[in-house]
Amino acid sequence: MMLAVGIVVMIITKGGDAALNALLSGAGEAVTLCLSMCGAYIFWMGFMGVVKKSGLMDGLSKLLSPAMRFLFPNAGEAATAISMNISANMLGMGNAATPYGIEAMRLMQKNNPKPNIATYEMCVFLCINASCLELLPSGLIALRQACGSTAPASIVLPTFLSSACATIVAVLCCKLLPQA
Amino acid sequence: MISALVPIFVLLVMLYALIRRVDVFSAFCEGATGALPLIGTILPCLAAMLIAISVFRESGAMDFVVRLLEPLCDPIGFDARLLPLVLLRPFSGSAAMAINSDIMLKYGADSKVGYLASILVGASETVFYTVALYFGAIGVKRTRFTIPVAMLATLVSVVTGVIFGNLFYR
Repeated sequence: MMLAVGIVVMIITKGGDAALNALLSGAGEAVTLCLSMCGAYIFWMGFMGVVKKSGLMDGLSKLLSPAMRFLFPNAGEAATAISMNISANMLGMGNAATPYGIEAMRLMQKNNPKPNIATYEMCVFLCINASCLELLPSGLIALRQACGSTAPASIVLPTFLSSACATIVAVLCCKLLPQA
Repeated sequence: MISALVPIFVLLVMLYALIRRVDVFSAFCEGATGALPLIGTILPCLAAMLIAISVFRESGAMDFVVRLLEPLCDPIGFDARLLPLVLLRPFSGSAAMAINSDIMLKYGADSKVGYLASILVGASETVFYTVALYFGAIGVKRTRFTIPVAMLATLVSVVTGVIFGNLFYR
């Protein structure tokens, strides 16, 4: 839709050449960005490989387990998958988080008496996921660097604080809502 | 001081891994293998979005929309240029990423608007996509209070993101 409106307006106001230029420059920008992000992605994903292998991610999820018991009193066997998912999300590894998240949902669904209606635990899980407490937004740091930032990591602290506020609000809402 | 935080974190993790006698090199390579396919899946979406944004902006349509919304945003001190980002963020991660990079390339990655855009992307999540994916995977149709609470959390992250961004920006 944005594309259609843009092309129509542009052909009218600036002619076809300018419109084609704008189309191609957008594609060129994407290629340049991806190329310059490639290095940073390789570094961060390699780093995350070390985090996983050294057991730090398991450590983080163990650290989170008291909080998990508070948030998901009836999660049962899904608790591990839930904390792995949230730990991965906190480290900006959305791709690693998704399989754990779906696994957690599957395990919670097993004990769901009404399979087409979400359980309380599922809703809480999704709400916390949506507020995504962020310790290290590695992908964003890579993007900022690719865009020429001199201080790509300067966003870490405000991002953490702001996502923490969102998480607190989400948790409060969930606790205030009825479980049934 | 704060700028050293991330390198120090990297150092600590590496040291810890060494103490735990992890083969750091192969663990690194194993993780990094995933980077290229990931870039490969991002590129087409990013290109499509950036093409659309580029045309939309160059045609002047973007300025028009921004000017239209300015009277709403100015009184509360919100930069109208961030509005497309905030509106698309809950639906598409790659769209938000494309708008964010577009803002950073246009106004500078270290400009205030670029800084705020990055924080807003980092502190929120692709709510509708995640909800659709997770609930879709197990066939749940009624999601109860998930969407209202998730959207409230997103709103909080936008408001606090702008506040903290203004506070920390130098």
